[in-house]
Amino acid sequence: MAKSFSVRRLPGFGAIALATFVMLYLPIVVLVVFSFNAGSSQSQWEGFSLQWYAAAFANQQVQEVSIRSLWLAAVAAGVATALAVPAALGTTRVSRFPGQTMIYALINQPLMVPEIVTGIALLIVVAWLKVHTGYTGMGYLVLAHTAFCIPFAYLPIRARLETLDATLESAASDLYASPFQAFRFITLPLLVPGIAAGFMLSFVISLDTVVITEFVKSAGQDTLPTYMLGQLRRIITPEMNAIATLFLALSLIFVTAFFLITRKRG
Amino acid sequence: MTQEIEIAGLSKVFGQGASAFRALTDINLSIDTGEFFTLLGPSGCGKTTLLRMIAGFEHPTGGTLKIAGEEMAGKGPNARPVNTVFQSYALFPHMTVAQNIGFGLKMLGKSRSEVDTTVAEMLRLVRMEPMADRKPSEISGGQQQRVALARALAPRPRVLLLDEPLSALDLKLRKEMQSELKRLQTETGITFVFVTHDQEEALTMSDRIAVMSAGRILQLGTPHDIYHAPAERFVADFIGDTNFLDLPVTAISGDVATLTLPGGQSAEARLPAGYLPVIGETVTAVVRPEQAVLGEPGSGMLSGTVASSVFFGTDTHLHLTLSDGQDFILRRQNTADLPVPQPGTPVGITLGAGTLRVLRS
Ligand SMILES: Nc1ncnc2c1ncn2[C@@H]1O[C@H](COP(=O)(O)OP(=O)(O)OP(=O)(O)O)[C@@H](O)[C@H]1O
Ligand SMILES: [Mg+2]
Repeated sequence: MAKSFSVRRLPGFGAIALATFVMLYLPIVVLVVFSFNAGSSQSQWEGFSLQWYAAAFANQQVQEVSIRSLWLAAVAAGVATALAVPAALGTTRVSRFPGQTMIYALINQPLMVPEIVTGIALLIVVAWLKVHTGYTGMGYLVLAHTAFCIPFAYLPIRARLETLDATLESAASDLYASPFQAFRFITLPLLVPGIAAGFMLSFVISLDTVVITEFVKSAGQDTLPTYMLGQLRRIITPEMNAIATLFLALSLIFVTAFFLITRKRG
Repeated sequence: MTQEIEIAGLSKVFGQGASAFRALTDINLSIDTGEFFTLLGPSGCGKTTLLRMIAGFEHPTGGTLKIAGEEMAGKGPNARPVNTVFQSYALFPHMTVAQNIGFGLKMLGKSRSEVDTTVAEMLRLVRMEPMADRKPSEISGGQQQRVALARALAPRPRVLLLDEPLSALDLKLRKEMQSELKRLQTETGITFVFVTHDQEEALTMSDRIAVMSAGRILQLGTPHDIYHAPAERFVADFIGDTNFLDLPVTAISGDVATLTLPGGQSAEARLPAGYLPVIGETVTAVVRPEQAVLGEPGSGMLSGTVASSVFFGTDTHLHLTLSDGQDFILRRQNTADLPVPQPGTPVGITLGAGTLRVLRS
């Protein structure tokens, strides 16, 4: 019997795979390693120390932007998820209607339009709004992040819904459940992993986005990534490595949680 | 007897325009309270569609449907006194066996204690008490089947709808569940509407059977009627083995026709209701293989020769060729000292009175 095709036997597969992993992870490893450097160099190892972590924690500004980033991500992910649930229900649990693909495309706009384009568009509109309303608060960032997060919340929820047997909802209504009760007692509990995954993913996305924030924020509304970007224009100390490492750890926690939740669904 | 379900002129068309598909045509049925009623037919004949319309998942394109005397149009599944056992069971995976069984009662707003009592009673009825706290994924297929039954029975519906509930089970479990179902139906007195495409299952379990084909009911009657007096070729062919004989009519009196058999002898055969052939016309008559009796050459009404024989343990199927060349199958009970006739042996065949029947054509 012929062996099935295996990409592993292609010549050079090992070398390419290795090079890819080196490219992807070596810079991060270097970044993390130097966050523990006792000196202030990014290239000369001068011994182990946690001093840069201490500095980062003591830094008032870092504290401020981190808190802003976290609550912004929590609110944006929360609202995006709350909107994504009915959007997912409305695009899967109904018979096909004209314009369904269109709606699907519209919901997923942020995945298709280049981020810089969305950013510039938002910049123009938000600048106009700021002038005409006089309001310059965090509302713009919350709205922009929420809209940007919706597809990331929507997709896992929709994926979960599609694997959910619609007969279960029929069975519930056969057993005298009203449409709301069928949703509340059957669909919603079974959707929880999808909802949690959607929330995690959009939380990380909001935490991560630089471009949207950069274009929408007013003075004093830096988030952690835009603050870091600003700092990089000046001299870089391993304090930035420490902040980046912590940021990485936080993202990893959420991404891991996302994978654990979506994997358990089977 | 009171009527639990009355269906008149019911039809269902899926889709519109060129892609429209007529799944059910002019269905007329009335099902008695406490009856075990079976919808029997080949795949795609519309059994599930009819069941889904009774449950309220699908809306008829025409006709009326009454349950317990009440018109059902405009009522959703949750407003009908009917519960369904789904083919895939559709147990709620995040709930325990007990919670699944109690779901309907909870939705009906029954008190906690009432729910608990009924759930306990249902668990006992389907012999699942030890598994009350397991999740559906932690029990076997046969056990899931019992839970699905208990869940549908718990709210004490007027009618229980069962869509091929046994088709996922292996033969042994299937036989077990057949008698279990029959027991539950007798004990609860609930009207069962049972869907199957297995003719043997339909014959052994039902009070009455509706044989369906291509969206229509071809014949409706007791298992005895359906088996012994099939009205149409499809019904005779679908249920059991049958000999079809094309025979000329020589006389008609009332609902009995006199037919000329191959070899020239005459035999009387009952006509189906409402069917009157003309004298001289050739009609199709049927006789079941076990109703013909093998005899010496020259005895009986028909003569033929043995073409082949198949031994089945309790009986032997003899494939015969009649004097005019038509095939005939005869089923003979085996006894230890009875020899199996060799191919080529001439034989006589006796048809008992009333075994020959004319089909509507
Ligand atoms: N929603 C639908 N849209 C279009 N056609 C449908 C729909 N549901 C069923 N049909 C068609 O109606 C016919 C009857 O289907 P139904 O499911 O009632 O068959 P069935 O007798 O239950 O068959 P089986 O024994 O295979 O379950 C089939 O030809 C099917 O393709
Ligand atoms: Mg079916």
